[in-house]
Amino acid sequence: MTTLAALDAWFAQRNWTVFSFQRAVWKAAREGQSGLLHANTGAGKTYAVWFAALLRGGERKPSGLRVLWLTPMRALAADTQRSLEQSAAALAPAWSIGARTGDTGSAERARQSRSLPNCLITTPESLSLLLSHAATREQSRHLDMVIVDEWHELMGSKRGVQVQLALARLRRWRPGLVVWGLSATMGNLRLAQDVLLGEGQGTLVEGDLSKQIVVDTLIPANVTRFPWGGHLGIEMLEPVIREIDQHASTLVFTNTRSQCELWYQNIIDARPDWAGLVALHHGSLDREVREWVEMGLKQGELKAVICTASLDLGVDFLPVERVLQVGSAKGIARLLQRAGRSGHAPGRVSRVTLVPTNSLELLEAAGARQAVASRRIEARQVPNKPFDVLVQHLVTVALGGGFRSEDLLDEVRSAWSYRLLTDEEWQWALDFVARGGQSLTVYPEYRRVLPDEEGVYRVPDAAIGRRHRMGIGTIVSDASIQVKYMSGGRIGSVEESFVARLKPGDRFLFGGRFLEFVRVHEMTAFVKRATRSSGAVTRWQGAKMPLSSELAHAALDQLQLAAQGVFEGPEMESLRPLVEIQQRWSALPTSDTLVVESMKSREGYHLFVYPFAGRSVHMGLASLFSYRIGRTQPITFSIAINDYGFELLAPEAVDWARVFAGATGAEVDLFDTATLLEDVLGSLNATQLSQQRFREVARIAGLVFSGYPGQPKSTRQLQASSSLFFEVFRKHDAANLLLTQAQREVLEQELELTRLRDTLAELHERKVAYREVRRATPFGFALMVERFREKVTTERLSDRVARMVRELEKAAAA
Amino acid sequence: MSGALAIEVAGEEVLLLPQKALYWPRERLLVVADIHFGKAAAFRSLGVPVPHGTTAENLAALDALVERHGARGIVFLGDFLHARAAHAPATQRALLAWRERHAGLSLLLVRGNHDRHAGDPAAQLRIALVDEPHLHGPFAFSHHPELAADGYVLAGHVHPTFLLASRFDALRLPCFLVGPRRMILPSFGAFTGGHPVTPEPGERVFVSSGEAIHSVR
Repeated sequence: MTTLAALDAWFAQRNWTVFSFQRAVWKAAREGQSGLLHANTGAGKTYAVWFAALLRGGERKPSGLRVLWLTPMRALAADTQRSLEQSAAALAPAWSIGARTGDTGSAERARQSRSLPNCLITTPESLSLLLSHAATREQSRHLDMVIVDEWHELMGSKRGVQVQLALARLRRWRPGLVVWGLSATMGNLRLAQDVLLGEGQGTLVEGDLSKQIVVDTLIPANVTRFPWGGHLGIEMLEPVIREIDQHASTLVFTNTRSQCELWYQNIIDARPDWAGLVALHHGSLDREVREWVEMGLKQGELKAVICTASLDLGVDFLPVERVLQVGSAKGIARLLQRAGRSGHAPGRVSRVTLVPTNSLELLEAAGARQAVASRRIEARQVPNKPFDVLVQHLVTVALGGGFRSEDLLDEVRSAWSYRLLTDEEWQWALDFVARGGQSLTVYPEYRRVLPDEEGVYRVPDAAIGRRHRMGIGTIVSDASIQVKYMSGGRIGSVEESFVARLKPGDRFLFGGRFLEFVRVHEMTAFVKRATRSSGAVTRWQGAKMPLSSELAHAALDQLQLAAQGVFEGPEMESLRPLVEIQQRWSALPTSDTLVVESMKSREGYHLFVYPFAGRSVHMGLASLFSYRIGRTQPITFSIAINDYGFELLAPEAVDWARVFAGATGAEVDLFDTATLLEDVLGSLNATQLSQQRFREVARIAGLVFSGYPGQPKSTRQLQASSSLFFEVFRKHDAANLLLTQAQREVLEQELELTRLRDTLAELHERKVAYREVRRATPFGFALMVERFREKVTTERLSDRVARMVRELEKAAAA
Repeated sequence: MSGALAIEVAGEEVLLLPQKALYWPRERLLVVADIHFGKAAAFRSLGVPVPHGTTAENLAALDALVERHGARGIVFLGDFLHARAAHAPATQRALLAWRERHAGLSLLLVRGNHDRHAGDPAAQLRIALVDEPHLHGPFAFSHHPELAADGYVLAGHVHPTFLLASRFDALRLPCFLVGPRRMILPSFGAFTGGHPVTPEPGERVFVSSGEAIHSVR
């Protein structure tokens, strides 16, 4: 039975010292306070909150559900359970600990529905599912504490909103409920605390933050002055293999699954003796394969794992000696998280080494080190009243015992994301689930949620309840297709859109093997091992993440220093020749100068602009510019973008000198923000983008039913795609808030309208350096290659680029 | 400009209409596949909110076509009603009112898979009911395209769509799939989706942009 003295003894037995942050959490929790624990890595934070829960249990024998432990990934649930059980065995042997996730078997589920364990580890979706059962309220009558692990990961997503709503419900049942969140470093911890605990509520405990984090770079032997994406990849293979060789265990993070597959393939080709010692891990691989890799890593049997963000989370991937990041990490928080995979134990140094895939990434590397040192870290945005999640929650609560409108409205408004929900919006959501939409229309046949004689909204039909439970969950993945050998074995799953592009006989790289596509049958892509080793390989690309604004600014700061002749660190030192040629031929983009270059070539008239604002903002800017220019002069541009800037290529001349005449951005009409929203909507096919967004919205709101497990198609009567709903709503119910939400999500998340506006405002402040250049500058060259990439095959691309580099180098030497 | 396209099949001239129907001028017959009346109502009765207006939209589309071409009859190639819930009073009232406005029109339904579950439409609608294939002239009116019949098969059931793709853009459009022995019509209903099809050798594809018919393959 747990007392402070028992804890001290437990620590002493292991020769461990209690950290002051652990004591702080124990004390606050014992006083009944909720809070947020900000701790980077290591097992220390688990002991802080878990022992706090045990202390609150005191010396009584626990009865019923006392502690809920929420984790973002079901793969983590088993790990967490093991870790909690180990310490409980000595300290609180009477406690029962169980997990309930999508992976939990039906026998265990049935046992839990009779009585829940004292501590239940679960995911946001499974918690929502519990709330849809009327018995849960009674089963939670002893609930004392909720722990939300990896809150930084959850809070920015709709799953985080689902957690907010569930907590609001649990607090209503148990007013004294103690809630603790665990969060890694992020830019807006105070907000994280408010969202989890309520405005100004709870206490913030700072964990073990003295942890030293080292960021360094594998400097390529030849830093070319004319960089292009990916060209350093193969050149860096040797240094990477050397690093793997010299360390007991290494994690190699890549940004996309195709990059992951390629690096694995190249490493194995170079070191065939490592087969079985080096493994591959990404989200599309079969769960069994991934578990095997995770286990091998934990037991120290693997020398290296090439992985994607799929290994970003995890409680105790213990001893990894070395962490490499191939290509840009895109953000500081991500880099910190990955660094934390090494030196995981308290007090050890965490180190991440960047492996640039083109010379410009050296600039990011230099910036990243600076940003990490000064802890300039990205903030997370929290979704603002998403109606799809609200609609889902209303049905969930109606199923789990029913609700009265005014009570539930109060409760929902206590969740941060809905604190500003208006009465009209509430009424709309209620009408949507109770009447099927427009409040003035009566649909006698409509039944989903109905008020009974006492005004309590319930779900009258068991079949509707069953379908709703199947659909609970807010993670919507692109429709995925299983990949199987003709002979039977499962390999994993890929996006339907990728398979749609394949023809029989096409080859692709997946699961570390070259596969040949045979056919698709019933949501399964059948493949066989490819026999031909030559010929084109279909590239399988994930979405590209934009560079975070913190990292972009850090890179610009490095250029600002370089402009003053200060080259700090080995990255900038090796980049010096590139920077000098950029300065000589044009000008250096910095935090106070926007460089704009125009150039004429055989291809046409080029314009290069370098705002350093990340690819999605550049896409928005490029479309905005071509739309605004197109209003005065009928013209078609082809567009190329990267994280540093964009290129507009036109078949005829544009008077760019006049367009960019002005000392600062504020004097350039093109940067006008007054009509930004209309122009962005006009310039992009916003309708089509909203329709894509609506897929997710429709599924969360329960419009599209994806079927019972093992039954690939839903009941025939209910077949309709989200695009069909989108059309019908647009035509017959244009004011539907779910449509508005889809449009808002497009503007905010895909086009990053806020960041676009901020960027334009920043450009107003910068000096405009307009240069007419005779040939592509280093920054411009990177963009030109980006454009060819869309057009030509890989082989021909490298030939062509090599020829251009030779020509440019000759000019630079002259 | 009606946007329609005249083609010859089985020795007869027919018009492919951008409104996703076929017109047979010699017999003044409008041929419509998969209208799925009452689908929205069926969804609502299962707890999925669909706004109202799709039945009225379907009927208005039929009105416009009958008037423009002076049709004397309509052949429905199956799936006239979506499900049992399509007998909901509101849907039935709308259908009856429409029937009264077109009292002289001959209506024929070739029963499809949904009709078997939904049950026959109400007798007051005065629709002649037949099982597939229904032979008329050189044509075998059917619901299922895979049917063997003594005649050129006109069928629905598949809700065919075709993906028109260029390097920058892709559009999925409803289409007519025209082969040597059978034609599959697009689904007519306002609340019906589509399934992508790949034409077999010898099959032509005509897509509808909503305004015109384009031959794409």
